[in-house]
Amino acid sequence: MTDVAAEIRDLSFTYPGAAAPALEGISLTVRNGELLAVVGPNGGGKSTLVRLLVGLLPVQRGEVRVLGRSPRDAARAGLIGYVPQRSEAELNFPVSARQVVEMAAGIGLPPWRGLPGERRRRVGEALARVGAGEFAERPVGELSGGQFQRVLVARALAVGARLLVLDEPTVGIDVAGQRRFTELIQGLRRELGLTIVLVSHDLRTIAAGAFGGVGEVSAGDRVACLRRTVHFHAAPAGVTPRLLAEVFQHDLADLFGPTHVDAHPEAECAAHGHAPHAHPHGHAHGRDSAGGGG
Amino acid sequence: MLRVVEAATGADGGLFRHAVLTALSVAIMCGGLSVFVVLRRLGFVGHGVAHAAFGGVGVVAVLGLTAAGGAMTVPGYALIAVFCIGVAAAIAWTSSRGAAGAPGRAAWREDTVIGLFLVASVATGAILLHAAGPARAGRIESWVFGSILEADRTDSAAAALVAGVVVLALAWFRRPLLFWAFDEPAAEAFGVRTARTRLLLMALLGVAVVLSMRVAGVVLSTALLVLPGAAAVQLSRRLVPVFALGVAAAVVGVLAGLEASLRLDTPPGPTIVLTLVAMASAAWAVGRARGR
Repeated sequence: MTDVAAEIRDLSFTYPGAAAPALEGISLTVRNGELLAVVGPNGGGKSTLVRLLVGLLPVQRGEVRVLGRSPRDAARAGLIGYVPQRSEAELNFPVSARQVVEMAAGIGLPPWRGLPGERRRRVGEALARVGAGEFAERPVGELSGGQFQRVLVARALAVGARLLVLDEPTVGIDVAGQRRFTELIQGLRRELGLTIVLVSHDLRTIAAGAFGGVGEVSAGDRVACLRRTVHFHAAPAGVTPRLLAEVFQHDLADLFGPTHVDAHPEAECAAHGHAPHAHPHGHAHGRDSAGGGG
Repeated sequence: MLRVVEAATGADGGLFRHAVLTALSVAIMCGGLSVFVVLRRLGFVGHGVAHAAFGGVGVVAVLGLTAAGGAMTVPGYALIAVFCIGVAAAIAWTSSRGAAGAPGRAAWREDTVIGLFLVASVATGAILLHAAGPARAGRIESWVFGSILEADRTDSAAAALVAGVVVLALAWFRRPLLFWAFDEPAAEAFGVRTARTRLLLMALLGVAVVLSMRVAGVVLSTALLVLPGAAAVQLSRRLVPVFALGVAAAVVGVLAGLEASLRLDTPPGPTIVLTLVAMASAAWAVGRARGR
């Protein structure tokens, strides 16, 4: 097994008919067992990056390799555990939590066969691993946001995914639920050695959530700030309010005018004990994938 | 004794035997499909595909593939099916392109394309049926609102065959269909071939419409593809019960509507549709009372 779980090189993507590219010259490396948090404002290309990484969009320019394969091949081999954003439609769907996990576990089985015992056991283990054992038989419509999110993680575990890609995992989940979810993700990384890419527009997820508090940041954990290009790619200690203000700035400035801009990210970071100006080193524009890390 | 039972068993002299058998087959396949239609919000897609059949009918009539008085023949059905599947595939193709398109980009979305195909098919069908003349085209209302009581051996055999194919296909491809219906992007990311799966369901809708047109006409056959599933999801949140309820609602609705039509001497298609509407409304009230 190689040391690199996902490798993105000089990736650009323009939606058909769009005037400007959604992503331009992105280079990122995700090492095995690492947690990479991708932050950026809405419309900054985070979802596009996720869709390219899990094989939902075709790579136009540049290269994406997931565990040494193309994203499509990695997906078909069950290596990618995609945890999408929550949507309304799913919640009206008449399936139990267990059936959601079984949908993924049943991929590739011949139609005339039921789920074999070994896969059934894996489904049960995945549900237990995320703490969904006691509500496994409940319809998904009766689950809380946090519970449903854990079921989606179990679905990824049941196929034996090695790379977990989480798209805005804490949206619509209360604070206690977010904390439990964070602990779960950290546990999976520690105990199963999973590689995790987490995408969020919510800076609190990154500051407190994903890294379990500043004190627990491990050497391998990194943050990438994304607004069309990668603005930063390094250990989270290097994320400064100034950097965040820059990445998020234009977005906010368009909405509220310049006065709100500086206050917003500083307040977010200060709330979680970052020393606001401790790391005054700026940011490298563009392709700085090699930089950062521990 | 119920008149539909008399008709089905031939106790009434076999006058409406093929009508009941056709309606039963159509109800079973539409009941199963309707659950997917409701869960995937494909109601308007079904409506569009149903109307495509009207264009097909026009072509069939002009080519002289109808029997006397506008009765349908096997080649006629096959041609209409090609028409419907073609439109269904075109809709599936547009919606898959829409999914990959830029957010907020000014493009034709699925509903726009459906609207276009719908009116184009109906207009084409109307002109062609007019050109074919009543001897070949039959009564136009019978295509618009259904003509189940005129169903003959060809209709009931075709319906049974198509229903068997549709039900088998739903069972055979249940896993990809279910994952796709639940969460299309996730299904794709987990390795389900979602474009094919979408196309499959569209094709099944296409062939189902060809036969349900006989029951309720192009305008009302959407009812068969939506209302049974709509009732079922109000009554249960469990997968197998929802499908069972969908099929049961369709069968009961179609047979009760037919019974009412025979007793009250009302047009059967619209009577069946109103029965289904009443059942779906009742299910909605039950679901609401249970706090859904």
